[in-house]
Amino acid sequence: MNDQPKYAVELNGITKRYGDFTAVKEIDLAVPVGSIYGFLGPNGAGKTTTIRMILDIVKPTEGSLAVLGEPTAMAVRERIGYLPEEKGLYKKMKAWAVIAYFARLKGVDAKTAKKRAYELLERYGLKDFSDKKVETLSKGMGQKVQVLASIAHQPEFVILDEPFSGLDPSNQQVMEDVISDLNKAGSTIVFSTHVMSHAERICDRILLIAKAEKIFDGTIDEAKALIPKVVQVSGLTDPEQVSSLPGVKTVGASDSEAGMHEIIMHDDADPQGLLRACFQQGIELNSFQYHEPTLHDVFLHLVGDDAKVAAYR
Amino acid sequence: MNNSLHIAGREYAENARTKGFWVNLLMFPVILFLSIKVPQLLEEKAKPARHFVMVDQTGEFDSVVDRAVERRYQRAVFSKLIDYQKKYAKPVEEGAEGPSGQEFSAEMLEQMPAGIFGSDPTDPVGSMLEAMEDQAPEMFDLLAQEGGLDLVLQMFYTTLIDNPPTFEPPRRMLVRDEVPDGALDGVDIATADPADIVKAIKPYLLNEKSIETSDDPLFALVVIPSDAFTWVNKPGQMPKGDPMETSQEGVQFWSSNLTDTDLSELIERSINREVQHREFVAKSMDPDTISQVQRTEMQFVSFDPKKAEGEEVVSVADTIRKWAPVGFVYLLWVAIFTVVNMLLNNTVEEKSNRIIEVLLSSATPWEIMSGKLIGIAGVGLTMMVGWILSLLGVLKFMAGPEVEWAGVLFEVIQNSGLLPLFGLYFVCGYLTYAGIFLAIGSLCNTVKEAQNFMGTATIILMVPLFTMVFIAQDPHGMLASFLTWVPLYTPFVMMNRAAADPPLFDLIGTGIVMFFTVIFMLWLSSRIFRMGVLRTGQPPKLLELIKGLTTPLKNQ
Repeated sequence: MNDQPKYAVELNGITKRYGDFTAVKEIDLAVPVGSIYGFLGPNGAGKTTTIRMILDIVKPTEGSLAVLGEPTAMAVRERIGYLPEEKGLYKKMKAWAVIAYFARLKGVDAKTAKKRAYELLERYGLKDFSDKKVETLSKGMGQKVQVLASIAHQPEFVILDEPFSGLDPSNQQVMEDVISDLNKAGSTIVFSTHVMSHAERICDRILLIAKAEKIFDGTIDEAKALIPKVVQVSGLTDPEQVSSLPGVKTVGASDSEAGMHEIIMHDDADPQGLLRACFQQGIELNSFQYHEPTLHDVFLHLVGDDAKVAAYR
Repeated sequence: MNNSLHIAGREYAENARTKGFWVNLLMFPVILFLSIKVPQLLEEKAKPARHFVMVDQTGEFDSVVDRAVERRYQRAVFSKLIDYQKKYAKPVEEGAEGPSGQEFSAEMLEQMPAGIFGSDPTDPVGSMLEAMEDQAPEMFDLLAQEGGLDLVLQMFYTTLIDNPPTFEPPRRMLVRDEVPDGALDGVDIATADPADIVKAIKPYLLNEKSIETSDDPLFALVVIPSDAFTWVNKPGQMPKGDPMETSQEGVQFWSSNLTDTDLSELIERSINREVQHREFVAKSMDPDTISQVQRTEMQFVSFDPKKAEGEEVVSVADTIRKWAPVGFVYLLWVAIFTVVNMLLNNTVEEKSNRIIEVLLSSATPWEIMSGKLIGIAGVGLTMMVGWILSLLGVLKFMAGPEVEWAGVLFEVIQNSGLLPLFGLYFVCGYLTYAGIFLAIGSLCNTVKEAQNFMGTATIILMVPLFTMVFIAQDPHGMLASFLTWVPLYTPFVMMNRAAADPPLFDLIGTGIVMFFTVIFMLWLSSRIFRMGVLRTGQPPKLLELIKGLTTPLKNQ
């Protein structure tokens, strides 16, 4: 047994090319053990290819990687769980049997595999469907079964590719519960998603990929700090009045119809301070709006037009 | 390796649990059983008796045809008598000399030269009786005499078990009826135009009018016109009538059933025998002498130089042995293509469902592939063993006086050494084709796409079926020798030739060829599999495929 590695995954400049097409370009990454890491990016950005390289399903053209301290995931496959993007199961098998089968492939003995399958199905509300064939389950239920199948061997590192897609809101919540349960039990989790709210709620860190390249890697707060703080005010008669206040970087032009001005602030400035300063200076305002930036804003800011294309998919 | 076995186990369970598998497994003995039993039953019960009417304007052939029909019936009685005797024969006491009953007949078949009973080795008694009817029909007249049957039965009773069931003579299958009442009223049969007679009887043939003796329509009408003798063709003379047109003259046989020729052949032959008989008499030749001369034959025996000294005579069992491989080739073909199709469908399913991705994160492509190969091979072997056991079971069960050949076939299969070869060729053929189908499956996203490939493949694969009869007839001929060395066909052709003791060179040579073919196919298909399983979109073009096979994995 090796010493416990610090990172579940380390990528060093991995690149994947299919002929002339570059799917992933020189990505570096380190996923700390015990963290929940979100892979974000528009469709076609290279998330799935990155995940496949981590799992040793496809070989990188260049670069090196380590998974749980090993140079290939195959060496530690019994400690890894994987849920692919496109979901599918053996239709003719019973729900419990599918879960037990995949657990067995990961080295769990037959008896334990069966026991865990039933336990998991019960815990996540599928007890009555344990002995039903997969083809009789609804799409959402089937997807849950597949998630359970990918974690029944109690992996220390779990990769979920688009785990929320195709789930209704209540099942999305169940999915979040699964992820946080796993994390509490000590698993490192990497998942990819389009839905920023999930990432924002549960991720410790995110990796943002667009057009095959890494454009951000860090914590949520770090991500949010990337975009400037913007305060929207209305009723401002003279923009010059505020431009000299502390923390203000620039004041945008007036939106003639609504009479709104966008005040872009310095990264470390406090919007509340600006409001206080306005009062003290006697600057009259009809409204003062400040929104904490969401991950969605960060995403749009960093990815730009690519994200809009993605949003329609 | 462990994962291969898990995957194999799942494949086996999934396929062996399908209804189709069990239907396949159970249908075989059922069909085999029915294919033996049903014709028997049909012959005995369902086939209607053939009623016919004969109008003989010459007045010369009435008794000739009647006698032929009667002898045909007596042949059937005799045949049934033989079955009856065999069925209820007294078992041989311990220590008594010689075999008896069933044992006796199997033993006899082994020793009897092929050909002595006529052409059909599967029904020696039937063909013997047929030969008797042809050459010595008067033998059957004994049975037809008053009390003749009882006399024969009396003779039999001493050899039978105590209180055997009463012998039931068979039904009469050919029945000559009188002209239906009123049909020819006012017609002078001796001088009427045959066309009028036909016109009068036709409604009965067409079931517009029914005959009293049977529920079925009249089967046939035979009209022998008064000028029939002028339409006798003799050697050295021009055939009668216009050579450019089909002659309408001579004996007329009317029947709407063109496929059952028993009656027409019987009548034609009996009339011609009579005509020939008259010709002998007219030429002052003694028909009895001629008949005896005609039955004088040199004994002719077939030998097989490969058999042990003293046993070279080709027996009926040898004939069966020669043809048994054809059955095995067919079985091999069906088995291989049933299971490789399962493999194809499973692979396409896993691919289209994206299950393959989860598998790939848990097992190497090689483990997945070998697991699938092993699992499906298990399904195939289960099916084969099921088929062979049920084949043997059905044969054993059916083997008896009525289906003598079943017993012989049973012996042949058990003792000929064909079974182990069958197992070997199944494994080789399976691994070769499984590789191909697995590769096709991994390249296709839907079953429909796979079927496009299958079209071409199927034509190539049909060859062993088309050639299996020719190869059995000429196991060392050009065709056989050539196809033997085409790796895709080797397992089938060698199975086909197995009973003919193929040369050692072929046996060992093809063994080596098959070994390397299997290795090569598995290597090739594992490469294609690896390349294909994660592919989406259209299956690759051939060039792309070749390019893919020669590119290192990290650049794929």
